[in-house]
Amino acid sequence: MEVFSDFQCPSCRALFLTTNRQLMDNYVTTGKVFLIHRDFPLPMHAYSRVAARYARAAAELGKIEPVERALYENQDKWEQSGDVDGTVGAVLTAAEMTKVRALVKGGTLEPLIDKDFALGTMYRVSSTPTTVFHSKGQTYPYSGAMPYETLHQFLDQLLSQK
Amino acid sequence: MMQSSPLNFRRAVIWIGRLLLGGIFVYAGYSKIFLPNANLWPYFILKFSISMNLSNFATQVEAFKMLPPWGVQFVAHALPFTEIVLGLLVLIGWRLRIWASMLTVIMFGFFFVVLRAYLLHMNINCGCFATPEIIGLRKVLEDAGMSLLAVLMTYFAFTEARQPHPWAAGEARQAQA
Repeated sequence: MEVFSDFQCPSCRALFLTTNRQLMDNYVTTGKVFLIHRDFPLPMHAYSRVAARYARAAAELGKIEPVERALYENQDKWEQSGDVDGTVGAVLTAAEMTKVRALVKGGTLEPLIDKDFALGTMYRVSSTPTTVFHSKGQTYPYSGAMPYETLHQFLDQLLSQK
Repeated sequence: MMQSSPLNFRRAVIWIGRLLLGGIFVYAGYSKIFLPNANLWPYFILKFSISMNLSNFATQVEAFKMLPPWGVQFVAHALPFTEIVLGLLVLIGWRLRIWASMLTVIMFGFFFVVLRAYLLHMNINCGCFATPEIIGLRKVLEDAGMSLLAVLMTYFAFTEARQPHPWAAGEARQAQA
């Protein structure tokens, strides 16, 4: 499953805080499903690309989980103030934050975000979140935040296909 | 020989209203159910596509902040099917006065919620069709125009029903002669 998301999008927040947690526990950690995060910062959101840079930088340090959670849980605060740095700083140590800032300013993350965006464009992603399922050589793109129960039924049927 | 009924202003408005509003209602319902996720085969994929599309529509209904969660779910699952059925009935024209009246009530409901969202400066999608469409003055005017057309169509459907049908009137004259 490739999930194209935007840190400033409310539906992505809903997907992350509700469905993804259960998806991780029941399908990803058990090895049934591979989940890939893809950045798709929409131009209409002022700080989503900044947030994507910080999340990518944190991922390089192995700290994506707390940073992703902090960004989504505090979305309504930083989307008003633009203080992405402060939001990320609240869940990392000072030393980690120094490295994250260096990576964000280094400019090496931008091509990676652009690469994800280009991939999304290839899949005709136009809104976030969009989840692209790959199974048995087939590709199924779905836009929107899906309730866990619906996803659970779908995945079980998809995995049981021969 | 049977003659077709003469086209006057009232009948023209009824025809335009039926074709335009009926067509828009059918498309609006269809797009909510089958778009943007249009993977249709096998059956469990179709079921998931429809669930996802209705879930997306529920998110848009919720954004208006007018209904409790059960109301959001009810509207999201009932409205698209109602739109298709009502649109088809208006297009067919059978018992037009009843279905046109219902369509007018729903159309005014849409106009009211869109106008409210516009006046409250809510930066949300209309949820009218599958494509994202931010509510602005244009959307309000579109809905106002369609509501007006719905009222005229319904009013003229009632007034036309009171007039003797041209065929029946001709037969009555022949019978008198």
